[in-house]
Amino acid sequence: MTANAGDSPAAAADAGIAVDLTADPEIAAAEVPPELLAQSLRQYLRGWWLQIRSGNSGVLPSILAIVLVAIVFEIITPEHAFLRPSNLVYIFGLSTVYMVLAVAETVVLLLGEIDLSIGAVALVGGVIAFKLVQKPGPDWPWWAAILVALVGCGVVGALQGTLVARLKIPSFIVTLGGFLLFSGILIVILGGADGNVDLNTDSPNQRVIYNMVQGIITPVVGWVALAVVVVAAAAVLWRRAAARRRQGLVAPPASLTAIRIGLVALVGIVVVVICNLNRGTLITAVAGVPWVIPIVLVVLGVWTLVLGRTRFGRYIYAIGGNPEAARRAGVGLAGIRTWSFALCAATAGLGGILLGSFFFGEYSTNTADPGQLVLYSVAAAVIGGVSLFGGRGKALHGILGGLLIGAIAYGVSLLNLGQLTTPLQYILPGGVLIGAVLVDVLSRRGTGSVTRV
Amino acid sequence: MSDIPVTADPAETPGTVVDLTAAHEVAAADVPPELLAQSLGQYLRALWLRVRSGDSGVLPVVLGIIVVAVAFQIANAKFLSPQNLVQLFEQSTVYMLLAMAVIFVLLLGEIDFSVGLVMGLNAVLVAELVQPTGPDFPWWAAIIVALLASAAFGAFQGWLVARLGLPSFIVTLGGLLILEGLAIIFLGGSLVGIGNSRFTNERILYDIFYGQFSPVVGWILLAVLVVGGATGMWLRDMQRRRGGLETSPRSLTALKIILMTVAGVAIVVICNSNRAHSGVIEGVPYIIPIVLIVLGASTILLQRTRFGRYVYAIGGNPEAARRAGVRVRSVRIWGFVLSALISAIAGVLFGSWQVSMTTNIIKSANAYVLLAIAAAVIGGTSLFGGRGKTIHGVLGGLVIGGIYNGLYLLGIQSQWIDVVVAAVLLVAATVDVLSRRGAPLRA
Repeated sequence: MTANAGDSPAAAADAGIAVDLTADPEIAAAEVPPELLAQSLRQYLRGWWLQIRSGNSGVLPSILAIVLVAIVFEIITPEHAFLRPSNLVYIFGLSTVYMVLAVAETVVLLLGEIDLSIGAVALVGGVIAFKLVQKPGPDWPWWAAILVALVGCGVVGALQGTLVARLKIPSFIVTLGGFLLFSGILIVILGGADGNVDLNTDSPNQRVIYNMVQGIITPVVGWVALAVVVVAAAAVLWRRAAARRRQGLVAPPASLTAIRIGLVALVGIVVVVICNLNRGTLITAVAGVPWVIPIVLVVLGVWTLVLGRTRFGRYIYAIGGNPEAARRAGVGLAGIRTWSFALCAATAGLGGILLGSFFFGEYSTNTADPGQLVLYSVAAAVIGGVSLFGGRGKALHGILGGLLIGAIAYGVSLLNLGQLTTPLQYILPGGVLIGAVLVDVLSRRGTGSVTRV
Repeated sequence: MSDIPVTADPAETPGTVVDLTAAHEVAAADVPPELLAQSLGQYLRALWLRVRSGDSGVLPVVLGIIVVAVAFQIANAKFLSPQNLVQLFEQSTVYMLLAMAVIFVLLLGEIDFSVGLVMGLNAVLVAELVQPTGPDFPWWAAIIVALLASAAFGAFQGWLVARLGLPSFIVTLGGLLILEGLAIIFLGGSLVGIGNSRFTNERILYDIFYGQFSPVVGWILLAVLVVGGATGMWLRDMQRRRGGLETSPRSLTALKIILMTVAGVAIVVICNSNRAHSGVIEGVPYIIPIVLIVLGASTILLQRTRFGRYVYAIGGNPEAARRAGVRVRSVRIWGFVLSALISAIAGVLFGSWQVSMTTNIIKSANAYVLLAIAAAVIGGTSLFGGRGKTIHGVLGGLVIGGIYNGLYLLGIQSQWIDVVVAAVLLVAATVDVLSRRGAPLRA
């Protein structure tokens, strides 16, 4: 690849090295998203392949890993149970908290910082929301309880962000302190080491929160919703491309847009078909798309828009890429950092509420371990493709990484390993975390973004 | 300080006292006062200047210990009783050792979150290896094997950090998960303990934490230590003076020896009073010399060897150290090895303290990590590398142990203790950052 123009290609070929004469323009092309250069589908695929080869492989590795994990567990689990519709839906529910927390963590990782407190903050947020809808008790409407919990988490995040951004204390120490602090406060709010709070499913108000993960949309409504989503997505994608083309801007080829719309529809149909299969018992049928799928899609959509299409999002990438350059370009570092920590914590709070709903609306100190939640969500983000060094990653990476972590965790628990189950639940994420960072570091090494003696 | 115009008439800056010797004093503050002072008065003055310039050394943590002691003594008269003080020290030992372990890595500008589970795994390994129904190793062989295993794990983590350039906090986070899994595998699902006093090996391991010297032996050891320490200090001074080198004033050396003696006598007197509810338990616990040996060895390693100087050099400026010819990578790997090794020693004590290891105790071992880092930072070691000593770990560990012990005596639930420690950690980190921020101004 580094052959200079003066070298004779024949000589190089004699030496057994394949010299690609178009190498230089290709390297340049690999730096630009292929959508911006490609004039045809073929060119797009070629540009995409170049990007992958240059180390910027996007979501491909995590999708392949999810497929691989699914196949392996389907083969090795007793009775080949992994891919049953009931298990697939359960895995999604289990992964939800990791997905949402990983998206939250992604925001902070993009800045080149880390938030080790989100597990504890998420649980505090969840418990606050659960406490506020209790009857007898505050008996707040569900939306007010959720809002207050999210705002509360946001304030906590803003405080930690202030310490990081203004006082320049390293984020891992601030959030480590936050982790300790909120793990303690969590137990205090829960009312002691054996305290708990649960939702009463007879109350319509509390049932809304219970249903966030446990509730399902009836099959017909599921199909209708899918149709609406696909048509809306198609309209938006198509119109945006058409608008660009009309203005004379670079636009992806029409065939590519069509393929994308087709993929969205296909994935949606597969998900709805799987969810609409009966996963209940012989006596009580359970079928339908769980509410949590649209909730996760909304989180993904909102963060994708914020990171990809707002000034705030661009500033986050700018700071993560090179804080000094961003500062000189006039970006207010402290403000963006503080807001990022705040929004990260608020997103984590939603994850905490979903976690309580996943555990059938019951929170106890045994329900979740804030330390494990943090590790899993950092690992999920990094496995998904978010760089620990800032500036590289998307919300989608967090979602895919969370799904992978959830799949591994559930697969291990299916294996009937007896005494090995508990240790493996520690060793696997630990190994996966180190492995993912290793890949991150090695793939960045060539780009010169890891500057270290 | 730097904003004050030097040429300005002092009278023109109302309310500001302009010290005309400021520049000279600031320069002096960068040199250890021992090297400049010719008399005790000068020494104290130089010390005060250093404190004022932000490099306050152990002073804040000593003040912290005094504040903790006074506050809890007022709240509960039992706090400073000999019985509670020995217990407080026992509770602090693990924090002290883990903090010293972390300091080796912090000095390099790295972090090690795995120390708690290196400790937990070690406690399990030692106990498993001496089981009469199992490997039945002698106690010393079990300890050596466990220490070597931990050092190897430390080397592996150091290799990932130093050779492959992975961030240390991720490597050690992943490492602690792996260790947690391994510890549970070695535990084998049940519990393993060293509480059976019929077996010599188990009794010796048990005594490491719970055993003590008889009062007479305690006094003899103190005498040997004080005489040895005093002779060493005095001889070194004499040698320096004979060689025409800068030497601290005699009165200062005498003062240091007297302070050392007073502290030693106080500790032995406290430990030698009977602290049992019924029967007699008296004497200096073995853990005190163990902590002192680790402290002494690590202090010598860091302050008086080339390796130690390299550690500070890398922590201060890795690029400068590399250009000066320091083999940055291997020093980093050794830093992680030493961190794991000291954590493993903590593990021997931890296993002895807990007597029986269970899955829950292994998980709880992880909780010590944050407190150990907090102890190091509270003691005065910087999170950014290059500044700190292992004595900081011992003093910081004493503060953490004191807070825990005191709040526990007051009947406060453990979750609030976590909250207090988190607050202390954040305050210590803030002080670290702020005091460092002032530092470049002096240059």
